[in-house]
Amino acid sequence: MRRPGASQDEPGQAIGADGRVEAVNAAAFASGIRRGMRRGEAEGICPLVVTVERDYPAEMIAFESVVAAIEELIPNVEVVEPGLVFVPVGGAVGYYGGEGPLIERVVKEIDRVAGTGFRIGLAEGPFAAKHASAAAMGDPPVYLVEDDEAFLASLDIATAGREELVATFRWLGITTLGELARFPRSTVASRFGTAGLTAHRLASGRDRALNPRDLPVDLTVSERFSPPLDDLEQAAFVARSMAGRLIETLASFGAAPFRIVVEAEAADGTVRSRTWLSADPLDDRAIADRVRWQLRAWIDGVGAGIRGGLAALRIEPAHLSGTGRQLALGEDARAASEIHRAFAETQAIVGRDELLQAHPQGGREPGERVAWHRWGEEPVTRRDLEAPWPGRIPGPSPTLVPPEPQPFHIEWDGGMPTRVRLGSRWVTVRSWAGPWRRVGRWWRGEETGDQYQIVTSAGAFLCEIRGGKTWLTGIYD
Amino acid sequence: MTGEPGVASRQSPVAGCELRAASLEQDRAPGRASGTDWRLETGDWRLDLPSLGPGQVGVLAGEAGLGMTRLGLVMLSGHARAGSVAYLDVRGWLSPVAAWEVGIEPERLVIARCRDVVRWGKAVAALLDGAAAVLAEVPAGAKDVSIRKLAALARNRGTTLLLRPLDGTVPAGIAHLTLEAQEISWSGAGDGHGRIDRRTTLLTASGKTMRGMTRTIEMEDDGSNAVRVVSGVAVAETRSVAG
Repeated sequence: MRRPGASQDEPGQAIGADGRVEAVNAAAFASGIRRGMRRGEAEGICPLVVTVERDYPAEMIAFESVVAAIEELIPNVEVVEPGLVFVPVGGAVGYYGGEGPLIERVVKEIDRVAGTGFRIGLAEGPFAAKHASAAAMGDPPVYLVEDDEAFLASLDIATAGREELVATFRWLGITTLGELARFPRSTVASRFGTAGLTAHRLASGRDRALNPRDLPVDLTVSERFSPPLDDLEQAAFVARSMAGRLIETLASFGAAPFRIVVEAEAADGTVRSRTWLSADPLDDRAIADRVRWQLRAWIDGVGAGIRGGLAALRIEPAHLSGTGRQLALGEDARAASEIHRAFAETQAIVGRDELLQAHPQGGREPGERVAWHRWGEEPVTRRDLEAPWPGRIPGPSPTLVPPEPQPFHIEWDGGMPTRVRLGSRWVTVRSWAGPWRRVGRWWRGEETGDQYQIVTSAGAFLCEIRGGKTWLTGIYD
Repeated sequence: MTGEPGVASRQSPVAGCELRAASLEQDRAPGRASGTDWRLETGDWRLDLPSLGPGQVGVLAGEAGLGMTRLGLVMLSGHARAGSVAYLDVRGWLSPVAAWEVGIEPERLVIARCRDVVRWGKAVAALLDGAAAVLAEVPAGAKDVSIRKLAALARNRGTTLLLRPLDGTVPAGIAHLTLEAQEISWSGAGDGHGRIDRRTTLLTASGKTMRGMTRTIEMEDDGSNAVRVVSGVAVAETRSVAG
């Protein structure tokens, strides 16, 4: 795990969009944190662990050199996410004289550009290949799967899919993929529906056996820019719109892409192309994200960049399946697309960081209970909502919460607040409640504070006395 | 929600419902209405405030602390059932927890932060294109002509627009409904004991939906998604269910 400025001596972990650990450094690994753990669980094991969120664009910039190195040897590299690629090697095996020589060359190239820390798995299907790479050890770290079905049979059921589904499987006594694969497809379908069928297909090593759709029209979306775009955010904005149009068109056929090809033409005529693959159908947001990551990787990563600006952008969907997103009753694809365009335009006006949504998370203070994320991105919650949070002030919650506590002036008389300064005037306190003692994270230097609710004729306020000073932390507007 | 913190209430949000007829009265001086003549008889403890339909414009006036932001969120929550709603946050202080408490689903609420007056107008216009309803704080210095254009755009798009002026007023004649806070009182807290749990707000309602009359409304809010009008509602009988 490499992040500029990150210390390898302190335990560190990277959290993905789903709030789970996706990477750990040696110190965190030694303390017991493992990939796949929930953030809360990991921090419970090691409270001092430094947590960072995955920075997909930055990772893609760093990963682009690896992808380019592999592409020099084998065409049609498919990127799943920064750090994971699938490569169809059937033709390359013959060209290089066997799997061994091919692997040797790939290992040498990756080692040259990225050093250590990579693993390679070779199998018939991508699901088996992915888990083979996870199991790869040794020098070089390569795992060759002879029989996908036999290899997959031994894998834990946790690899099958969503947590709730896996929990149900375990409750029924199904603990490995092999046990799941032994059930008839019809039984799994009737009991678990589409999600169960997907898990069964993966467990059976038939993850390539999708229901590919061939549609009679060319679904590629493209835009030409005159003059060429030289601003990534502008290009990303356009990509969003293109992705929306693409999904809207596919939705009318009831289809969704599992793969897209992103092609960028520079002003000097150079064309760069990259294929992105996904285990789940890509929606417009996912497509727009990948286009943005890829453009940034080409601009800031290895290679010639996009000389002269972006003259044209194409997004071609592939590997379609009949599992397009089901729209809610009353919703239609066109309306959803218009809403998306409107919010995308708003985002362009106010800035990417200023169009937000929020998700509930655990916490005591009103500000802590909100997990903010940019519109269009996945929410990431940092604290367990279901956990008890003793010391939380009951509702109703203040409607207005300053991003940082604001100085607040209260006059006290014998331990009782008498008046409050609002702007240039003093207002009499009518009633008040508190204090609620708030014990901070003392191990991080946070101070203890006392919280109060102060009621005046001008409204009610939530404030905290900390370090001898009073701070406004909420207004009940 | 009964005061317990946690996730957004899953109860059906209520922002506006059928308006009950009371006797039509001439304008009165604002003040607390008295007597049983004014008590709204309803078995439903849901919101009985006037509300706004698609394309209509509302103004929520009053200093910070008088409860108008929360009232705006309650009025927004009814529209959140139909689609995404947006809040334009000039101050950057809006707490989504309050929105969840009044029943707005997290996925349905989009918050845009913008202090710049010029970009503010463009941002509201863009939000009106996509959201089912928009609650926009109005920054000081926002031009009347811009606000009028936004009102016209809201009517044209069929999007409900709620304006919360932070400093000053909005141009006359654009609002179908203006709610202005006059007084507020909180109960539940004492001299260092209890906690605030219920708010009573006195506000005046005027505008086109009030058919030119100004009414005084006393409203109770216990922090849930139900706001009850206690007394003082005398509104013109409407022909349609609002909200």
